[in-house]
Amino acid sequence: MNAILTLAVREVRGMFHSPLAWTLLAVLFSICAYMFNASLLNYQIQMMEYQAYGMRGALPLTERTIAPMLGNAAVLLLLIMPLLSMRLIAEEKRQGTWPALASSPLSPMVIVLGKYLGLLFFIAIAIGVLAIIPLALYPYGNPDTGQFLAGVVGLFLTAAAFGSVGLAASSATENPNVAAVASFGVLLLLWIVSWMGNASGGTLDKALAYFSLMNHYQNFLTGLVSSADLVYFVLLSASGLLFARHRLLAERIQG
Amino acid sequence: MTETMIHLSGVTRKFGSVKALDNIELQVQRGEVMGFLGPNGAGKTTTMRILAGLLAPTEGSVAVAGVDVLEDPVEARARIGFLPENPPIYGEMTVEEYLGYLASLRRVPKGQLGGAVDRAMERCGLTAVSNRLLRNLSKGYRQRAGIAQAIVHAPDVVILDEPTVGLDPIQIREIRELIRELGGEHSVLLSTHILPEVRMTCGRVAVIHQGRIVADDALENLEKRVHGSVAHFVRFGALPDADALRRVAGVAGVTAREDGWLITSAPASDPVPELLRLSVAQGWNLRELTPAGGNLEDIFLQLTTREEKENA
Repeated sequence: MNAILTLAVREVRGMFHSPLAWTLLAVLFSICAYMFNASLLNYQIQMMEYQAYGMRGALPLTERTIAPMLGNAAVLLLLIMPLLSMRLIAEEKRQGTWPALASSPLSPMVIVLGKYLGLLFFIAIAIGVLAIIPLALYPYGNPDTGQFLAGVVGLFLTAAAFGSVGLAASSATENPNVAAVASFGVLLLLWIVSWMGNASGGTLDKALAYFSLMNHYQNFLTGLVSSADLVYFVLLSASGLLFARHRLLAERIQG
Repeated sequence: MTETMIHLSGVTRKFGSVKALDNIELQVQRGEVMGFLGPNGAGKTTTMRILAGLLAPTEGSVAVAGVDVLEDPVEARARIGFLPENPPIYGEMTVEEYLGYLASLRRVPKGQLGGAVDRAMERCGLTAVSNRLLRNLSKGYRQRAGIAQAIVHAPDVVILDEPTVGLDPIQIREIRELIRELGGEHSVLLSTHILPEVRMTCGRVAVIHQGRIVADDALENLEKRVHGSVAHFVRFGALPDADALRRVAGVAGVTAREDGWLITSAPASDPVPELLRLSVAQGWNLRELTPAGGNLEDIFLQLTTREEKENA
Protein backbone atom coordinates (compact mmCIF):
# COMPACT_ATOMS: atom_id res chain seq x y z
CA MET A 1 0.00 0.00 0.00
CA ASN A 2 2.84 2.35 0.90
CA ALA A 3 4.53 1.60 -2.38
CA ILE A 4 1.33 2.39 -4.29
CA LEU A 5 1.14 5.79 -2.59
CA THR A 6 4.83 6.48 -3.19
CA LEU A 7 4.37 5.70 -6.89
CA ALA A 8 1.20 7.80 -7.08
CA VAL A 9 2.74 10.85 -5.40
CA ARG A 10 5.76 10.71 -7.65
CA GLU A 11 3.49 10.37 -10.70
CA VAL A 12 1.49 13.50 -9.78
CA ARG A 13 4.65 15.46 -9.08
CA GLY A 14 6.10 14.28 -12.36
CA MET A 15 2.99 15.50 -14.19
CA PHE A 16 3.18 18.93 -12.63
CA HIS A 17 6.86 19.12 -13.50
CA SER A 18 5.97 18.75 -17.16
CA PRO A 19 4.51 21.60 -19.20
CA LEU A 20 2.18 19.10 -20.85
CA ALA A 21 -0.06 18.70 -17.80
CA TRP A 22 -0.28 22.45 -17.21
CA THR A 23 -1.09 23.08 -20.86
CA LEU A 24 -3.78 20.43 -20.89
CA LEU A 25 -5.32 21.86 -17.71
CA ALA A 26 -5.26 25.37 -19.17
CA VAL A 27 -6.87 24.25 -22.41
CA LEU A 28 -9.51 22.21 -20.59
CA PHE A 29 -10.39 25.05 -18.27
CA SER A 30 -10.51 27.81 -20.90
CA ILE A 31 -12.57 25.87 -23.39
CA CYS A 32 -15.02 24.69 -20.75
CA ALA A 33 -15.36 28.23 -19.43
CA TYR A 34 -15.99 29.48 -22.95
CA MET A 35 -18.61 26.82 -23.61
CA PHE A 36 -20.26 27.52 -20.30
CA ASN A 37 -20.54 31.19 -21.12
CA ALA A 38 -21.95 30.38 -24.54
CA SER A 39 -24.61 28.11 -23.09
CA LEU A 40 -25.43 30.74 -20.50
CA LEU A 41 -26.00 33.36 -23.20
CA ASN A 42 -28.09 30.87 -25.13
CA TYR A 43 -30.13 30.19 -22.04
CA GLN A 44 -30.73 33.91 -21.61
CA ILE A 45 -32.00 34.26 -25.17
CA GLN A 46 -34.18 31.19 -24.87
CA MET A 47 -35.62 32.48 -21.61
CA MET A 48 -36.54 35.78 -23.26
CA GLU A 49 -38.23 33.96 -26.14
CA TYR A 50 -39.97 31.66 -23.68
CA GLN A 51 -41.30 34.56 -21.67
CA ALA A 52 -42.23 36.51 -24.81
CA TYR A 53 -44.77 33.76 -25.54
CA GLY A 54 -46.25 34.57 -22.18
CA MET A 55 -45.16 31.33 -20.51
CA ARG A 56 -44.75 31.34 -16.78
CA GLY A 57 -41.87 29.88 -14.80
CA ALA A 58 -38.38 29.19 -16.13
CA LEU A 59 -36.54 26.75 -18.37
CA PRO A 60 -34.47 24.18 -16.44
CA LEU A 61 -31.24 26.04 -15.70
CA THR A 62 -28.93 23.15 -14.80
CA GLU A 63 -29.95 21.04 -17.76
CA ARG A 64 -29.26 23.87 -20.20
CA THR A 65 -26.03 25.25 -18.79
CA ILE A 66 -24.14 22.90 -16.45
CA ALA A 67 -25.05 19.62 -18.15
CA PRO A 68 -23.92 20.72 -21.63
CA MET A 69 -20.67 22.01 -20.22
CA LEU A 70 -19.96 18.76 -18.40
CA GLY A 71 -21.00 16.81 -21.50
CA ASN A 72 -18.54 18.75 -23.63
CA ALA A 73 -15.87 18.44 -20.95
CA ALA A 74 -16.10 14.66 -21.35
CA VAL A 75 -15.47 15.00 -25.09
CA LEU A 76 -12.48 17.22 -24.35
CA LEU A 77 -11.19 14.69 -21.86
CA LEU A 78 -11.57 12.05 -24.54
CA LEU A 79 -8.91 13.99 -26.43
CA ILE A 80 -6.82 14.94 -23.41
CA MET A 81 -6.67 11.75 -21.36
CA PRO A 82 -4.75 9.74 -23.98
CA LEU A 83 -2.10 12.47 -23.92
CA LEU A 84 -1.91 12.39 -20.14
CA SER A 85 -1.89 8.64 -19.77
CA MET A 86 0.37 7.81 -22.70
CA ARG A 87 3.52 8.37 -20.69
CA LEU A 88 2.60 6.40 -17.58
CA ILE A 89 4.52 3.24 -18.46
CA ALA A 90 5.73 3.73 -22.04
CA GLU A 91 7.81 6.76 -21.08
CA GLU A 92 9.60 4.83 -18.33
CA LYS A 93 10.56 2.22 -20.88
CA ARG A 94 11.67 4.76 -23.42
CA GLN A 95 13.70 6.74 -20.91
CA GLY A 96 15.31 3.58 -19.59
CA THR A 97 13.99 4.09 -16.05
CA TRP A 98 11.77 1.05 -16.25
CA PRO A 99 14.46 -1.39 -14.99
CA ALA A 100 14.69 0.59 -11.74
CA LEU A 101 10.98 -0.02 -11.13
CA ALA A 102 10.86 -3.53 -12.51
CA SER A 103 13.80 -4.67 -10.37
CA SER A 104 12.20 -3.20 -7.23
CA PRO A 105 10.14 -5.46 -4.97
CA LEU A 106 6.85 -4.41 -6.55
CA SER A 107 4.36 -6.70 -8.19
CA PRO A 108 3.06 -5.57 -11.58
CA MET A 109 -0.33 -4.89 -9.97
CA VAL A 110 1.27 -2.53 -7.44
CA ILE A 111 3.01 -0.62 -10.23
CA VAL A 112 -0.21 -0.42 -12.24
CA LEU A 113 -2.27 0.71 -9.23
CA GLY A 114 0.33 3.28 -8.20
CA LYS A 115 0.42 4.80 -11.66
CA TYR A 116 -3.37 4.75 -11.89
CA LEU A 117 -3.87 6.31 -8.48
CA GLY A 118 -1.52 9.11 -9.51
CA LEU A 119 -3.57 9.67 -12.63
CA LEU A 120 -6.79 9.71 -10.56
CA PHE A 121 -5.29 12.43 -8.33
CA PHE A 122 -4.63 14.49 -11.39
CA ILE A 123 -8.12 13.88 -12.79
CA ALA A 124 -9.62 14.89 -9.45
CA ILE A 125 -7.68 18.12 -9.54
CA ALA A 126 -8.71 18.83 -13.14
CA ILE A 127 -12.38 18.14 -12.47
CA GLY A 128 -12.25 20.03 -9.19
CA VAL A 129 -11.06 23.06 -11.13
CA LEU A 130 -13.79 22.59 -13.76
CA ALA A 131 -16.45 22.34 -11.09
CA ILE A 132 -15.63 25.88 -9.97
CA ILE A 133 -17.05 27.35 -13.18
CA PRO A 134 -20.76 26.54 -12.57
CA LEU A 135 -20.53 27.93 -9.03
CA ALA A 136 -20.91 31.31 -10.70
CA LEU A 137 -24.61 30.49 -11.14
CA TYR A 138 -25.35 30.23 -7.44
CA PRO A 139 -25.49 33.97 -6.57
CA TYR A 140 -27.95 34.63 -9.43
CA GLY A 141 -29.98 31.50 -9.95
CA ASN A 142 -31.06 28.30 -8.39
CA PRO A 143 -29.17 25.44 -10.01
CA ASP A 144 -30.03 21.84 -9.17
CA THR A 145 -27.13 20.89 -6.90
CA GLY A 146 -27.99 17.17 -7.04
CA GLN A 147 -27.87 17.10 -10.81
CA PHE A 148 -24.68 19.18 -10.79
CA LEU A 149 -22.94 16.79 -8.39
CA ALA A 150 -24.16 13.71 -10.24
CA GLY A 151 -22.69 15.21 -13.39
CA VAL A 152 -19.35 15.85 -11.67
CA VAL A 153 -19.25 12.30 -10.32
CA GLY A 154 -20.11 10.99 -13.79
CA LEU A 155 -17.36 13.08 -15.35
CA PHE A 156 -14.85 11.77 -12.83
CA LEU A 157 -15.84 8.16 -13.51
CA THR A 158 -15.72 8.74 -17.25
CA ALA A 159 -12.27 10.30 -17.04
CA ALA A 160 -11.13 7.48 -14.75
CA ALA A 161 -12.28 4.94 -17.33
CA PHE A 162 -10.49 6.90 -20.07
CA GLY A 163 -7.36 6.86 -17.93
CA SER A 164 -7.49 3.14 -17.36
CA VAL A 165 -7.77 2.48 -21.09
CA GLY A 166 -4.86 4.87 -21.59
CA LEU A 167 -2.80 3.07 -18.97
CA ALA A 168 -3.50 -0.23 -20.72
CA ALA A 169 -2.30 1.24 -24.01
CA SER A 170 0.76 2.70 -22.32
CA SER A 171 1.70 -0.69 -20.92
CA ALA A 172 1.62 -2.29 -24.34
CA THR A 173 4.22 -0.15 -26.11
CA GLU A 174 7.48 1.69 -25.56
CA ASN A 175 6.31 4.60 -27.65
CA PRO A 176 4.03 7.08 -25.85
CA ASN A 177 2.69 8.41 -29.16
CA VAL A 178 1.53 4.97 -30.18
CA ALA A 179 -0.10 4.59 -26.76
CA ALA A 180 -1.94 7.91 -27.20
CA VAL A 181 -3.26 7.03 -30.65
CA ALA A 182 -4.30 3.54 -29.60
CA SER A 183 -6.14 4.67 -26.49
CA PHE A 184 -7.80 7.52 -28.38
CA GLY A 185 -9.04 5.04 -30.97
CA VAL A 186 -10.43 2.66 -28.37
CA LEU A 187 -12.07 5.46 -26.39
CA LEU A 188 -13.66 7.07 -29.41
CA LEU A 189 -15.03 3.72 -30.49
CA LEU A 190 -16.44 3.13 -27.00
CA TRP A 191 -17.95 6.60 -27.08
CA ILE A 192 -19.79 6.14 -30.36
CA VAL A 193 -20.27 2.38 -30.37
CA SER A 194 -24.04 2.68 -30.04
CA TRP A 195 -24.35 4.54 -33.33
CA MET A 196 -24.55 1.25 -35.21
CA GLY A 197 -26.98 -0.18 -32.71
CA ASN A 198 -29.61 2.43 -33.34
CA ALA A 199 -30.30 1.02 -36.76
CA SER A 200 -30.33 -2.71 -36.04
CA GLY A 201 -32.60 -3.12 -33.01
CA GLY A 202 -32.84 -6.26 -30.90
CA THR A 203 -30.11 -7.83 -28.74
CA LEU A 204 -27.20 -6.36 -30.63
CA ASP A 205 -28.75 -2.93 -30.26
CA LYS A 206 -28.97 -3.41 -26.51
CA ALA A 207 -25.44 -4.80 -26.26
CA LEU A 208 -23.94 -1.93 -28.22
CA ALA A 209 -25.94 0.55 -26.20
CA TYR A 210 -24.62 -1.04 -23.03
CA PHE A 211 -21.01 -0.75 -24.14
CA SER A 212 -21.40 2.88 -25.11
CA LEU A 213 -19.57 5.14 -22.68
CA MET A 214 -21.67 8.06 -23.76
CA ASN A 215 -24.97 6.42 -22.83
CA HIS A 216 -23.83 5.73 -19.28
CA TYR A 217 -22.44 9.20 -18.86
CA GLN A 218 -25.66 10.76 -20.18
CA ASN A 219 -27.55 9.24 -17.26
CA PHE A 220 -25.29 11.02 -14.80
CA LEU A 221 -25.83 14.31 -16.62
CA THR A 222 -29.58 14.02 -16.18
CA GLY A 223 -28.92 13.57 -12.47
CA LEU A 224 -29.50 9.83 -12.46
CA VAL A 225 -26.92 7.85 -10.50
CA SER A 226 -27.74 4.17 -11.02
CA SER A 227 -25.82 1.16 -9.87
CA ALA A 228 -25.86 -0.23 -13.42
CA ASP A 229 -23.86 2.77 -14.64
CA LEU A 230 -21.52 2.61 -11.66
CA VAL A 231 -20.86 -1.06 -12.33
CA TYR A 232 -20.16 -0.29 -15.97
CA PHE A 233 -17.50 2.27 -15.11
CA VAL A 234 -15.91 0.11 -12.44
CA LEU A 235 -15.78 -2.85 -14.84
CA LEU A 236 -14.32 -0.79 -17.66
CA SER A 237 -11.64 0.71 -15.40
CA ALA A 238 -10.81 -2.65 -13.87
CA SER A 239 -10.41 -4.28 -17.28
CA GLY A 240 -7.93 -1.61 -18.31
CA LEU A 241 -5.88 -2.16 -15.16
CA LEU A 242 -5.97 -5.93 -15.50
CA PHE A 243 -4.90 -5.68 -19.10
CA ALA A 244 -1.91 -3.54 -18.09
CA ARG A 245 -0.96 -5.98 -15.33
CA HIS A 246 -1.20 -8.85 -17.76
CA ARG A 247 1.04 -7.03 -20.24
CA LEU A 248 3.70 -6.42 -17.61
CA LEU A 249 3.66 -10.05 -16.54
CA ALA A 250 3.77 -11.29 -20.12
CA GLU A 251 6.69 -8.99 -20.85
CA ARG A 252 8.89 -10.88 -18.43
CA ILE A 253 8.12 -14.06 -20.28
CA GLN A 254 8.22 -12.77 -23.84
CA GLY A 255 11.07 -10.29 -23.36
CA MET B 1 31.01 -20.89 5.94
CA THR B 2 29.95 -19.84 2.49
CA GLU B 3 26.46 -18.95 1.53
CA THR B 4 25.35 -18.99 -2.08
CA MET B 5 23.78 -15.63 -2.88
CA ILE B 6 23.28 -16.07 -6.61
CA HIS B 7 22.37 -19.48 -7.89
CA LEU B 8 21.53 -20.05 -11.53
CA SER B 9 20.97 -23.63 -12.44
CA GLY B 10 20.20 -25.00 -15.88
CA VAL B 11 18.98 -21.60 -17.02
CA THR B 12 17.94 -21.42 -20.64
CA ARG B 13 16.34 -18.41 -22.22
CA LYS B 14 14.86 -18.33 -25.67
CA PHE B 15 13.71 -15.31 -27.65
CA GLY B 16 11.45 -16.89 -30.22
CA SER B 17 13.57 -19.64 -31.69
CA VAL B 18 16.88 -18.01 -30.72
CA LYS B 19 18.58 -19.42 -27.66
CA ALA B 20 20.15 -16.46 -25.86
CA LEU B 21 21.19 -18.56 -22.88
CA ASP B 22 21.87 -22.26 -22.98
CA ASN B 23 21.89 -24.20 -19.74
CA ILE B 24 23.73 -21.64 -17.62
CA GLU B 25 25.19 -22.68 -14.28
CA LEU B 26 26.49 -19.90 -12.08
CA GLN B 27 27.02 -19.44 -8.38
CA VAL B 28 28.22 -16.43 -6.46
CA GLN B 29 28.98 -16.67 -2.75
CA ARG B 30 28.35 -14.07 -0.09
CA GLY B 31 30.89 -11.30 -0.16
CA GLU B 32 32.29 -12.32 -3.51
CA VAL B 33 32.83 -10.02 -6.48
CA MET B 34 32.42 -11.99 -9.64
CA GLY B 35 33.47 -10.72 -13.02
CA PHE B 36 31.19 -11.59 -15.87
CA LEU B 37 32.96 -11.44 -19.20
CA GLY B 38 31.89 -12.09 -22.71
CA PRO B 39 31.75 -10.54 -26.15
CA ASN B 40 28.77 -8.42 -27.13
CA GLY B 41 25.66 -10.49 -27.60
CA ALA B 42 27.02 -13.40 -25.59
CA GLY B 43 24.19 -13.28 -23.07
CA LYS B 44 25.61 -11.14 -20.25
CA THR B 45 22.77 -8.67 -20.23
CA THR B 46 20.13 -11.37 -20.59
CA THR B 47 21.57 -13.21 -17.59
CA MET B 48 21.58 -10.01 -15.55
CA ARG B 49 18.04 -9.12 -16.54
CA ILE B 50 16.90 -12.56 -15.45
CA LEU B 51 18.58 -12.10 -12.09
CA ALA B 52 17.06 -8.66 -11.68
CA GLY B 53 13.60 -10.08 -12.31
CA LEU B 54 13.03 -8.27 -15.60
CA LEU B 55 12.94 -11.46 -17.60
CA ALA B 56 11.81 -14.94 -16.75
CA PRO B 57 14.00 -17.87 -17.79
CA THR B 58 12.48 -20.28 -20.28
CA GLU B 59 13.89 -23.21 -18.30
CA GLY B 60 15.92 -23.67 -15.17
CA SER B 61 15.84 -22.14 -11.72
CA VAL B 62 17.21 -18.91 -10.32
CA ALA B 63 17.65 -18.12 -6.65
CA VAL B 64 18.80 -14.89 -5.07
CA ALA B 65 19.87 -15.03 -1.43
CA GLY B 66 18.02 -18.31 -1.16
CA VAL B 67 14.76 -16.96 -2.57
CA ASP B 68 13.49 -18.56 -5.76
CA VAL B 69 12.97 -15.84 -8.35
CA LEU B 70 10.14 -17.67 -10.08
CA GLU B 71 8.25 -18.72 -6.96
CA ASP B 72 8.53 -15.47 -5.08
CA PRO B 73 9.63 -12.77 -7.52
CA VAL B 74 8.80 -9.81 -5.27
CA GLU B 75 10.77 -11.15 -2.28
CA ALA B 76 13.71 -12.01 -4.52
CA ARG B 77 13.77 -8.51 -5.96
CA ALA B 78 13.83 -7.06 -2.46
CA ARG B 79 17.31 -8.57 -2.15
CA ILE B 80 18.67 -7.17 -5.37
CA GLY B 81 20.19 -3.92 -6.57
CA PHE B 82 20.50 -3.60 -10.31
CA LEU B 83 22.34 -1.13 -12.49
CA PRO B 84 21.31 -1.69 -16.12
CA GLU B 85 23.49 -0.75 -19.07
CA ASN B 86 21.95 2.71 -19.22
CA PRO B 87 21.52 4.20 -15.74
CA PRO B 88 17.79 4.52 -14.96
CA ILE B 89 17.69 8.26 -14.35
CA TYR B 90 14.63 10.45 -13.73
CA GLY B 91 15.86 13.74 -15.16
CA GLU B 92 13.38 15.93 -13.32
CA MET B 93 14.45 14.71 -9.87
CA THR B 94 17.34 15.82 -7.74
CA VAL B 95 19.88 13.17 -6.75
CA GLU B 96 18.53 13.13 -3.22
CA GLU B 97 14.86 12.86 -4.27
CA TYR B 98 15.73 10.15 -6.74
CA LEU B 99 17.53 7.96 -4.23
CA GLY B 100 14.85 8.61 -1.59
CA TYR B 101 12.11 7.64 -4.02
CA LEU B 102 13.72 4.36 -5.04
CA ALA B 103 14.78 3.55 -1.49
CA SER B 104 11.23 3.88 -0.24
CA LEU B 105 9.96 1.69 -3.08
CA ARG B 106 12.53 -0.85 -1.93
CA ARG B 107 11.26 -1.05 1.60
CA VAL B 108 13.76 1.14 3.40
CA PRO B 109 11.79 2.17 6.53
CA LYS B 110 10.78 5.82 6.62
CA GLY B 111 12.97 6.62 9.64
CA GLN B 112 16.09 5.26 7.95
CA LEU B 113 15.46 6.79 4.55
CA GLY B 114 17.61 9.89 5.05
CA GLY B 115 20.51 7.89 6.45
CA ALA B 116 20.41 5.33 3.65
CA VAL B 117 20.34 8.05 1.00
CA ASP B 118 23.19 9.98 2.62
CA ARG B 119 25.30 6.86 2.88
CA ALA B 120 24.74 5.87 -0.74
CA MET B 121 25.55 9.41 -1.90
CA GLU B 122 28.68 9.45 0.17
CA ARG B 123 29.90 6.10 -1.09
CA CYS B 124 29.34 7.10 -4.70
CA GLY B 125 30.73 10.61 -4.33
CA LEU B 126 27.41 12.33 -4.94
CA THR B 127 27.12 14.38 -1.77
CA ALA B 128 28.30 17.56 -3.49
CA VAL B 129 25.57 17.33 -6.15
CA SER B 130 22.74 16.06 -3.93
CA ASN B 131 20.47 19.00 -4.81
CA ARG B 132 21.16 19.11 -8.52
CA LEU B 133 18.66 17.85 -11.06
CA LEU B 134 19.82 14.59 -12.58
CA ARG B 135 19.21 15.87 -16.09
CA ASN B 136 21.81 18.58 -15.54
CA LEU B 137 24.52 16.21 -14.37
CA SER B 138 27.33 14.84 -16.48
CA LYS B 139 27.40 11.29 -17.73
CA GLY B 140 29.83 10.30 -15.00
CA TYR B 141 27.59 11.58 -12.22
CA ARG B 142 24.54 9.94 -13.74
CA GLN B 143 26.42 6.69 -13.81
CA ARG B 144 27.29 7.15 -10.15
CA ALA B 145 23.65 7.91 -9.37
CA GLY B 146 22.81 4.66 -11.16
CA ILE B 147 25.22 2.77 -8.93
CA ALA B 148 23.91 4.60 -5.86
CA GLN B 149 20.34 3.48 -6.59
CA ALA B 150 21.56 -0.10 -6.85
CA ILE B 151 23.02 -0.03 -3.33
CA VAL B 152 20.80 2.47 -1.51
CA HIS B 153 18.59 -0.24 -0.02
CA ALA B 154 21.60 -2.36 1.05
CA PRO B 155 20.66 -5.40 -1.02
CA ASP B 156 22.36 -8.76 -0.55
CA VAL B 157 23.17 -8.95 -4.23
CA VAL B 158 24.34 -6.12 -6.47
CA ILE B 159 24.26 -6.59 -10.23
CA LEU B 160 26.22 -4.06 -12.27
CA ASP B 161 26.05 -4.07 -16.04
CA GLU B 162 29.15 -2.26 -17.31
CA PRO B 163 29.32 0.27 -14.48
CA THR B 164 32.40 2.21 -15.61
CA VAL B 165 31.33 2.99 -19.16
CA GLY B 166 31.49 6.70 -19.87
CA LEU B 167 33.52 7.65 -16.83
CA ASP B 168 36.81 9.50 -16.81
CA PRO B 169 39.93 7.72 -15.50
CA ILE B 170 39.71 9.22 -12.02
CA GLN B 171 36.05 8.28 -11.67
CA ILE B 172 36.80 4.81 -12.98
CA ARG B 173 39.38 4.35 -10.25
CA GLU B 174 36.92 5.52 -7.61
CA ILE B 175 34.16 3.29 -8.87
CA ARG B 176 36.46 0.26 -8.97
CA GLU B 177 37.49 1.04 -5.43
CA LEU B 178 33.81 1.20 -4.51
CA ILE B 179 33.04 -2.11 -6.22
CA ARG B 180 35.85 -3.81 -4.36
CA GLU B 181 34.47 -2.34 -1.17
CA LEU B 182 30.98 -3.60 -1.98
CA GLY B 183 32.23 -7.16 -1.95
CA GLY B 184 32.40 -8.23 1.64
CA GLU B 185 28.94 -7.17 2.67
CA HIS B 186 27.25 -7.57 -0.70
CA SER B 187 27.75 -10.13 -3.40
CA VAL B 188 28.51 -8.46 -6.68
CA LEU B 189 28.10 -9.67 -10.21
CA LEU B 190 29.92 -7.29 -12.52
CA SER B 191 29.76 -7.43 -16.27
CA THR B 192 32.39 -5.61 -18.24
CA HIS B 193 34.40 -5.45 -21.41
CA ILE B 194 37.34 -3.88 -19.68
CA LEU B 195 39.65 -6.68 -18.71
CA PRO B 196 41.98 -4.82 -16.34
CA GLU B 197 38.85 -3.90 -14.41
CA VAL B 198 38.25 -7.55 -13.73
CA ARG B 199 41.80 -8.00 -12.53
CA MET B 200 41.42 -5.09 -10.14
CA THR B 201 38.04 -5.89 -8.69
CA CYS B 202 37.09 -9.51 -9.08
CA GLY B 203 38.13 -12.62 -7.24
CA ARG B 204 36.46 -14.92 -9.66
CA VAL B 205 35.56 -14.73 -13.31
CA ALA B 206 32.90 -16.35 -15.42
CA VAL B 207 33.23 -16.12 -19.16
CA ILE B 208 30.10 -16.43 -21.25
CA HIS B 209 30.15 -17.05 -24.95
CA GLN B 210 27.24 -17.71 -27.28
CA GLY B 211 24.90 -18.22 -24.34
CA ARG B 212 27.10 -20.73 -22.53
CA ILE B 213 29.50 -20.40 -19.64
CA VAL B 214 32.87 -21.40 -21.09
CA ALA B 215 34.92 -20.74 -17.97
CA ASP B 216 34.21 -20.14 -14.30
CA ASP B 217 37.20 -20.04 -12.01
CA ALA B 218 39.51 -17.93 -9.90
CA LEU B 219 41.55 -15.58 -12.02
CA GLU B 220 44.93 -17.27 -11.30
CA ASN B 221 43.60 -20.71 -12.19
CA LEU B 222 42.15 -19.39 -15.38
CA GLU B 223 45.47 -17.91 -16.40
CA LYS B 224 47.30 -21.14 -15.68
CA ARG B 225 44.73 -23.17 -17.51
CA VAL B 226 44.87 -21.11 -20.64
CA HIS B 227 48.60 -20.76 -20.99
CA GLY B 228 49.79 -23.95 -19.39
CA SER B 229 53.25 -22.68 -20.14
CA VAL B 230 54.96 -19.34 -19.71
CA ALA B 231 54.71 -16.76 -22.46
CA HIS B 232 56.77 -13.65 -23.08
CA PHE B 233 56.35 -10.63 -25.21
CA VAL B 234 59.57 -9.50 -26.92
CA ARG B 235 60.43 -6.56 -29.12
CA PHE B 236 63.67 -6.14 -31.05
CA GLY B 237 65.23 -3.21 -32.85
CA ALA B 238 66.62 -5.38 -35.62
CA LEU B 239 65.42 -8.93 -35.95
CA PRO B 240 65.82 -10.71 -39.32
CA ASP B 241 62.63 -12.83 -39.14
CA ALA B 242 60.42 -15.08 -37.02
CA ASP B 243 62.33 -18.19 -37.98
CA ALA B 244 65.37 -16.87 -36.16
CA LEU B 245 63.26 -16.80 -32.98
CA ARG B 246 61.80 -20.25 -33.56
CA ARG B 247 65.31 -21.71 -33.73
CA VAL B 248 66.10 -20.46 -30.21
CA ALA B 249 66.32 -23.41 -27.82
CA GLY B 250 63.25 -23.74 -25.57
CA VAL B 251 60.87 -21.76 -27.76
CA ALA B 252 57.68 -23.64 -28.60
CA GLY B 253 55.76 -21.07 -30.61
CA VAL B 254 56.07 -17.58 -32.04
CA THR B 255 53.15 -15.31 -32.81
CA ALA B 256 53.43 -11.91 -34.44
CA ARG B 257 52.05 -9.04 -32.36
CA GLU B 258 51.88 -5.35 -32.97
CA ASP B 259 55.58 -4.36 -33.26
CA GLY B 260 56.79 -7.48 -31.49
CA TRP B 261 56.45 -11.21 -30.93
CA LEU B 262 54.72 -13.41 -28.42
CA ILE B 263 56.83 -16.45 -27.68
CA THR B 264 55.62 -19.43 -25.70
CA SER B 265 58.08 -21.70 -24.00
CA ALA B 266 58.32 -25.42 -24.44
CA PRO B 267 57.29 -27.31 -21.28
CA ALA B 268 59.85 -27.21 -18.47
CA SER B 269 62.30 -25.02 -20.29
CA ASP B 270 63.28 -21.38 -20.11
CA PRO B 271 64.29 -19.77 -23.40
CA VAL B 272 65.00 -16.34 -21.86
CA PRO B 273 68.77 -16.68 -21.12
CA GLU B 274 69.43 -18.09 -24.57
CA LEU B 275 67.31 -15.35 -26.10
CA LEU B 276 69.30 -12.65 -24.32
CA ARG B 277 72.59 -14.22 -25.32
CA LEU B 278 71.61 -14.47 -28.98
CA SER B 279 70.24 -10.96 -29.01
CA VAL B 280 73.59 -9.58 -27.88
CA ALA B 281 75.66 -11.92 -30.05
CA GLN B 282 73.67 -11.35 -33.25
CA GLY B 283 72.89 -7.69 -32.66
CA TRP B 284 69.06 -8.03 -32.59
CA ASN B 285 68.83 -4.98 -30.33
CA LEU B 286 66.42 -6.19 -27.63
CA ARG B 287 64.04 -3.38 -26.63
CA GLU B 288 61.44 -5.09 -24.50
CA LEU B 289 60.93 -8.39 -22.75
CA THR B 290 57.81 -8.84 -20.60
CA PRO B 291 56.09 -11.88 -19.18
CA ALA B 292 52.76 -12.13 -21.00
CA GLY B 293 51.24 -14.82 -18.83
CA GLY B 294 48.80 -12.51 -17.07
CA ASN B 295 47.25 -11.06 -20.15
CA LEU B 296 43.52 -11.24 -19.68
CA GLU B 297 42.91 -10.36 -23.31
CA ASP B 298 44.69 -13.54 -24.26
CA ILE B 299 42.67 -15.62 -21.86
CA PHE B 300 39.51 -14.09 -23.12
CA LEU B 301 40.33 -14.48 -26.76
CA GLN B 302 41.54 -17.99 -26.31
CA LEU B 303 38.43 -19.08 -24.41
CA THR B 304 36.00 -17.53 -26.82
CA THR B 305 37.76 -18.51 -30.02
CA ARG B 306 38.45 -22.04 -28.87
CA GLU B 307 34.73 -22.41 -28.49
CA GLU B 308 34.22 -21.36 -32.06
CA LYS B 309 36.75 -23.89 -33.29
CA GLU B 310 34.97 -26.62 -31.39
CA ASN B 311 31.68 -25.58 -32.88
CA ALA B 312 33.05 -25.47 -36.40
